[in-house]
Amino acid sequence: MKKPSFPVVARASDAAVTRRRFLRGVGACLSLPLFETALRGAPAAAGGGPGLATTSTGAPLRMAFVYFPNGAHQDNWWPTGEGAGFQLGRTMEPLAPLKGSIQVLGGLDHKNATAGNDGAGDHARANATFLTGERARKTDSTDIRVGISVDQVVAQRLGDVTRFPSLELSCDAVRKSGRCDSGYSCAYQYNLSWASPGTPVAPEPNPRLVFERLFGSGAPGERQRNLELRQRTQKSLLDFVLDDAKALQRQLGGRDRDKLDEYLTGVREIERRIARTERFGALPQPGMETPVGIPSDYGEHMDLMYDLLALSFETDSTRVATLLLAGDGSNKAYPQIGIPEGHHYCSHHRNDADLMDKIARIDRYYMERFARFLGRLEAKKDVDGRSVLHNSMIVYGCGNSDGNRHTHHNLPIVLAGAGGGTLNPGRHVRLGGQPMSNLFLGMIDRMGVNGVTRIGDSSGRIAGV
Amino acid sequence: MSRRSTRFRPAFILGALALPVTALATDAARNFRASVEPLLAKYCLDCHGGGIRKGGVSLDELGSDAEVVRRHDVWFAVLKNVRAGLMPPLEDGAARPTPAEIDTLSRWIKYEAFGIDPLDPDPGRVAPRRLNRVEYRNTIRDLMGHDFNSEVEFPPDDSGNGFDNNGEVLTISPLLLEKYLAAAEAIVEKAVPKVGRVVRERVASGREFRAEGGGGTGDQLNARRAMTVSRNFTVEQADRYQVIMELETRGTFDFDGSRCRLIGRIDGEEKFNELVVWSERRPLRREFEVEWQPGRKTISFEVVPLPSVGEGAAAEARPQSAPGPTSVTMRVNSVTVRGPLSERHWIAPENHGRFFPGPLVGADLGERDRRAAELLRAFATRAFRRPVDDSTVERLGFIARQVYAQPGRTFEEGVGRAMMAVLASPRFLFRVEESDPAAPSGPYAPLDEWSLASRLSYFLWSSMPDEELFALAGRGELRRNLRAQVDRMVRDPKAQGLVRNFTGQWLQARDVESIPINARVVLGPGARPNRDGRVEFDGVFRRLMRAETEAYFEHVLREDRSLLELVDSDYAFLNARLAEHYGVPGVEGDELRKVTLPPGSPRGGVITQGTVLAVTSNPTRTSPVKRGVFILDNILGTPPPPAPPDVPDLEEARKEFQGREPKLSEMLAAHRSNKLCHSCHSRMDPLGLALENFNALGGWRDTDARQPIDPAGMLITGERFADVRELKRVIARERAADVYRCFTEKLFTYALGRGVEHFDSHTIEAITRRLLDGGGKASIALLGIIESPAFQRRRAAPAGQALSMAPPPVP
Repeated sequence: MKKPSFPVVARASDAAVTRRRFLRGVGACLSLPLFETALRGAPAAAGGGPGLATTSTGAPLRMAFVYFPNGAHQDNWWPTGEGAGFQLGRTMEPLAPLKGSIQVLGGLDHKNATAGNDGAGDHARANATFLTGERARKTDSTDIRVGISVDQVVAQRLGDVTRFPSLELSCDAVRKSGRCDSGYSCAYQYNLSWASPGTPVAPEPNPRLVFERLFGSGAPGERQRNLELRQRTQKSLLDFVLDDAKALQRQLGGRDRDKLDEYLTGVREIERRIARTERFGALPQPGMETPVGIPSDYGEHMDLMYDLLALSFETDSTRVATLLLAGDGSNKAYPQIGIPEGHHYCSHHRNDADLMDKIARIDRYYMERFARFLGRLEAKKDVDGRSVLHNSMIVYGCGNSDGNRHTHHNLPIVLAGAGGGTLNPGRHVRLGGQPMSNLFLGMIDRMGVNGVTRIGDSSGRIAGV
Repeated sequence: MSRRSTRFRPAFILGALALPVTALATDAARNFRASVEPLLAKYCLDCHGGGIRKGGVSLDELGSDAEVVRRHDVWFAVLKNVRAGLMPPLEDGAARPTPAEIDTLSRWIKYEAFGIDPLDPDPGRVAPRRLNRVEYRNTIRDLMGHDFNSEVEFPPDDSGNGFDNNGEVLTISPLLLEKYLAAAEAIVEKAVPKVGRVVRERVASGREFRAEGGGGTGDQLNARRAMTVSRNFTVEQADRYQVIMELETRGTFDFDGSRCRLIGRIDGEEKFNELVVWSERRPLRREFEVEWQPGRKTISFEVVPLPSVGEGAAAEARPQSAPGPTSVTMRVNSVTVRGPLSERHWIAPENHGRFFPGPLVGADLGERDRRAAELLRAFATRAFRRPVDDSTVERLGFIARQVYAQPGRTFEEGVGRAMMAVLASPRFLFRVEESDPAAPSGPYAPLDEWSLASRLSYFLWSSMPDEELFALAGRGELRRNLRAQVDRMVRDPKAQGLVRNFTGQWLQARDVESIPINARVVLGPGARPNRDGRVEFDGVFRRLMRAETEAYFEHVLREDRSLLELVDSDYAFLNARLAEHYGVPGVEGDELRKVTLPPGSPRGGVITQGTVLAVTSNPTRTSPVKRGVFILDNILGTPPPPAPPDVPDLEEARKEFQGREPKLSEMLAAHRSNKLCHSCHSRMDPLGLALENFNALGGWRDTDARQPIDPAGMLITGERFADVRELKRVIARERAADVYRCFTEKLFTYALGRGVEHFDSHTIEAITRRLLDGGGKASIALLGIIESPAFQRRRAAPAGQALSMAPPPVP
């Protein structure tokens, strides 16, 4: 087998092409970290380097992306004043105690979420573009395609630094049947994370399953043993399924092989996970009981998912996570805060005062949950004595800015945390119209991932965040 | 590296496909000039030519003749719009194309521009389909006899073209693969016995222990009530037996002084005697071994109340056995009788025969290997839905042997481990199709019979083929018996898979279980509360609505009724609660059944069912637009284009009403008067407004916000209707072809797991034609799809590809 040589890949979306080709060529050599090789342009040893996802004080550095649907009511969202002397608006009042730990970023755009030549479908695009910066291919099924998302670019490079390269969570457990938004496959609307341009990473909506994946299943005293037994069993099966997958892949032609690529990537990830488990030793103790399932109250569901996300950071189980609170276009009702109408319906308020008030209250309801989460991270001390929030970069936002008119410029974005001292929070920053992807590029740098020169439509890095 | 992704070389692909049809293409271009272009000039170019591009479409700027022929996207849109009567638009005084002219145009598009060979059309690309959550659960049920709740354990599947069985979008992420491995293990653990023989075990629940005279049961004992509960067990062999009693005592949070003795007896002999006082939940477990002769054995528990403590004089005065409220309760959770304990009396565990038919396997390794190979070959054949080769059996045998060759491990454990590997294999998780090996070479080939069996079973049952389908496929006789098999499969209870999953998504009946509808707001202050005393759209009612839609569709399918009855009929499937909701008198009881509707009833057909009316509503009010879009998209098959991104502000329109709150219909009328909105809203609004007589829960209403409802309107194709009854009649009578075509397209999409493409036009039209000629019977659509080349054939695999599981030669 000749060693394939690749140029340094500049665009994340090209990585999968080379990956796919690479996978086909490599065949049996599954122990090699494929994505990493493609991204770095040079073979890399498994495992993260010393500077990966680490602060200057040696503490873990984390990144998370939280998505809320349908944009924000503009008048109530934006603070007044700029820089450190800003005043929070009605929606962000719940963040007041954490004002020094957040930056409100204005002027970030996702031009690939606009209609362009693709016509309607702003909700699907808002969702699909949010972390990829790419334009989603308008298709109901054939050849779905957008780009690798920023979290996955980092996760694929962090590899073995933590037990899990990344976590993908959602509070959208029930999906609408039939078609989704205007000719776009539902895959665009229910996934934030994309492992390759054609492969979304399905998020987990069930808190019990998230918990068991992170901390093991069964009674607290049995979890370690259960995991070891399970992994021993899995090991005995992997050779067989791997051979099957490779044989099938030879049998299939063209794009059908992509399906087996996905499968092989999964097998490889499980092998690595087993290796990591052995290396990391005992499972972390979560200090929380196993959740029963999906709470019927949506607010409780969000709180529980935020708690699990916080736990995963506090126990250093992962340093990269995404949380889709609800897919864009969500028409959930909020009877718990006295709003029986659907969210999407309210967001198209057509300047009706009552609906505008309702949409602002929904925005604030989401913000309260987020503030609670940040409060928890702020209260938790990290290994370097700073707070976990200090050592994090948490993007909270939406790919739609004005839900009434479906705009994708000046997106509602909050960047929380100090990135281990590399960010300058406590400000309202107007960035004057640049790609949201530029923010991602800077975050990728801070995570210690080198060699990524572009993501999505990025044109550079943002100065002064 | 021999194989490269072709996705990024579209030019190359087009070139390759165009080569053999050059001659045809020249004819197509000539015929375009001769017979199609004049029609376009006559009917279309006023709006789509000469620099005018209405809707962004221009038909005289398509390029050279060869390019004109290749613009499949344009011609597919022209075909859809013209055959549905949407184009040219109905305008006073404007000439309409004659049926002959429409025929000329559509024939040219189908057979020349698309180059469809009616005898051998392109069957399309069906991606290897991963089992979705529902299919996985059903397949495990049929393969393992175990109900695995995949809807909780797996994340929701993505859908494409409106259905979640679309191969293209059923991706597999590392997380999902992790879950598949865990599921394989959990399922085998639960379903497959780990030993060959076990002690017989009988478990009786507390409720089975009864007081003489029927005064109480073992699951409800309390310290203030004297009682003896008992249950008999019959034993056949004289031997040793084990009796395990599992009880618990409990008190509420607040102290309660009640006390009693709890006595357990076997055949009258006291086995334990416990003082029970107030405490938190406390389990009580006792095991006894007994020598029994054949006959009837009695196990009993007695409660003997004692004087209470700490309750003062009032309680002292109360007689000991006076029944009264107490929180000191006991319950018998279970009593297990294990035995006979001697090994010669042991029996096969549950399900042993299902997974390990034949005689018990001994300890001899050679024998174990032989039997393991035999069992695993049969199991993998069913799980992979096609025969497996020797190498697969060897590799599975290896996994089994690694376990059962260890001291202390059983044969069953080993085979079970190999079964886990089967359930985690991509050959189980994906439906991979193959061509008939005997087929002559060509671009398209018939499916082999194993693939055909799976296409049938996943289409009609959402599950794996059964023994009969496998047997026919094995003998190569499935195709020859296709109609008889389809008939059998539709009658099988498993056809509920099609009913549930197809209606669940086509009519979005699934969504009624979760759609947020606020019953208090919708029904207003006068609403009657339900059994729980609340005004709410409760789960029972939601499921009832879903069951109604399923029963209705099932009736049309199984009784082979006309598909037009899906739109309009004089019957409905109701029980008392639904009938009351719909205002249909004289229906009693909980059972859902076919009811003939009174004359003039607006019900009958899916459009006026609770499911459709609710899932097309907003949480607090109806949405005529959503309802109109629903009918256009799912009944007539002519979905409107999506709304433009920047919808004009309705505040402007509101000014017309000078401060008065306009009715929804007035707002929509204002909307339609806007040029940008008119072309689509004049198609959807009349349909939705005709349904305004139904509130967001599907109940009838004569007014909305105290204003009378005006349901009259006109279809875009010109047919007028006075109300919803007439609307349904008009659709069924005047637009039957649209209804048939739409239904066929939806079912086709579901059956194949791919969207309808331009090269399917002939197939869809042919089925539509047969439906028009044959009274619309459901079987015509079903068989039409199953017998179509798209279902029966596949794009042949590239030449030179290895089908064996052997490794490829090393270069």
